Amino acid sequence: MKEIRLATKILKTLVKDRIQYPDKLVVDTIGVIARCGILLILYGYVFKLNDGVINGTTFLFAVWSIFFYFSFSVLRLRDISGEIMRDIQTGNIEVLFSKPISYLSYRMWWQVGSGIYSFVIITIFATLALIFIMGLPSTMTMSIFIPTLILTFICGAILSLFLYSIVGLLSFWIEDINPVFWIVDKAVMILGGSYLPVALFPAFMFKIALWSPFGASQFVTHTVYETWQINWYQLVGIQLFWIVLLGLVVYFMFERAKQKVSVNGG
Amino acid sequence: MNSNSIIVSNLTKKFSFSVRNTSSGWLKNLFSPETKEIVAVNDISFSVKHGERIAFIGPNGAGKSTTIKMLTGILFPTSGKVNILGFDPTKDRKKLAYQIGTVFGQRSQLLPNLPLTDSLEFFGVMYDMPEKEIKKRIAELVELFDLDSFMTQPVRKLSLGQRMRAEVAASLIHKPKIILLDEPTIGLDVVAKKSLRDLLLKINKEENTTMFLTSHDVGDIESLCDRTIVINHGVVMRDLPTQDLAKTFVYEKYIDLVALSHFNNFPELPEGMSYSSRDKNKITVVVDINKMSVQESLKKLLDLFEVEDIDVYNADLETVIRHIYERDSTSN
Repeated sequence: MKEIRLATKILKTLVKDRIQYPDKLVVDTIGVIARCGILLILYGYVFKLNDGVINGTTFLFAVWSIFFYFSFSVLRLRDISGEIMRDIQTGNIEVLFSKPISYLSYRMWWQVGSGIYSFVIITIFATLALIFIMGLPSTMTMSIFIPTLILTFICGAILSLFLYSIVGLLSFWIEDINPVFWIVDKAVMILGGSYLPVALFPAFMFKIALWSPFGASQFVTHTVYETWQINWYQLVGIQLFWIVLLGLVVYFMFERAKQKVSVNGG
Repeated sequence: MNSNSIIVSNLTKKFSFSVRNTSSGWLKNLFSPETKEIVAVNDISFSVKHGERIAFIGPNGAGKSTTIKMLTGILFPTSGKVNILGFDPTKDRKKLAYQIGTVFGQRSQLLPNLPLTDSLEFFGVMYDMPEKEIKKRIAELVELFDLDSFMTQPVRKLSLGQRMRAEVAASLIHKPKIILLDEPTIGLDVVAKKSLRDLLLKINKEENTTMFLTSHDVGDIESLCDRTIVINHGVVMRDLPTQDLAKTFVYEKYIDLVALSHFNNFPELPEGMSYSSRDKNKITVVVDINKMSVQESLKKLLDLFEVEDIDVYNADLETVIRHIYERDSTSN
């Protein structure tokens, strides 16, 4: 109960903070429009060259898949790695360790809170714009779509937080986690379908995207395809498997890390 | 009921880190590096009673902050035990956090972009206080710390003095039994320092909060603490009432001589006396009273100089503390 109350307070406080400083929303919006927009223009052109169909997928499905990736990325869950590294490097971790909270769960809720305002606003407006401009694929009007989208979204968020927390926790052992972060982040981007929609992947790449935690953290991009109706439970199952496994890794890493804390002046 | 808030027994903290051996190859340095060990805190023991105000002082690198971080459960001791209000900080960090407040002078715990009231409410929830109690406590702290004039300003727009008052208030939101302060007055001007010290004394008197503070500021020690523990090289060197600190270590007296007209020459002084400062208008002489009494030294000085005025006084606390540090450094 206490955890839920604190989590709610974190979310409310950070939303209030973001409302007071709307510049971050503007930056996030420009970022999504620029990155997502450029990719969609390029893909629109490529699909046109192929008579509108590539690998059995139409442009409409690709648009929504890429949009889901960018919408999810607005939450900035990946930034938890940098936050943990900064806490350790600046010594700010001592302030949080002296409070009656679980450091990691606090950091995770803080990360969600930091991005949720931009995420909600951008997702609502961009979804309406996409419906208006492109229309909805038939798969998104099925009754199963919304509940399974929410389920895989939550699982993806937890998985992303665990994945990037592991990278952040490495700061207890190595001074600069940026090279590791770069590798993991690029793996997530590629296997998650940010550069190329997963439906266009060659078979072996698709398997890697399906079975690796990097791709699994972005299964929200799979929800628009027709195959989702048949194998969503398998994909959510893969996500749950990685959540349990990475959750244990995070737990044991943090238990070891706590004993390695060292802050300037002690 | 145990009258001690804090009991520290044989506490030791060692830090080990790898060092690059230039004579070894990079592969050996990567996989089998040489390690060096530093003993930051070495077998210290002390206890603190409820409501006591303790200064925990020492030069840079003495082990003060390491100790305070072990008391709060941030750092794990290499050996030894800490008992705070019946809790072991290594096992009961979260439970202990409900009972203690911490102020780290060089770090902020407040939410920078939002008004102070948001930070206080935030910490109230963090300490699982009911909403009604949070509001009541905030009202108390606003009155006690005179926060009213800047409660609605974003924290980042506060002056350093205002921010430190706010930091201490935030640390007290849950009415902790002990407050641990790590250099709370660092960077503050004299007025802000006095104001903060007065507030801490008030909290100690009104809520019987035990205070444990580290500081390099002699004013903090003199005006706030009734007991001083001196630590150096990770070892407790002295543990005594603050008022005895100056008395115990004064083996030197200072004598100021003001010239009748001008001091023209500065003859060599007899053994037991030395110049602390000298110019044509005023001389300050340090007398080692183990070697020469004040009376004898005055006689000798009056034979040597023509003076208009004389002032004899003890070293101030800052000088005494410096002597302790220097003496401990040379004896180690």
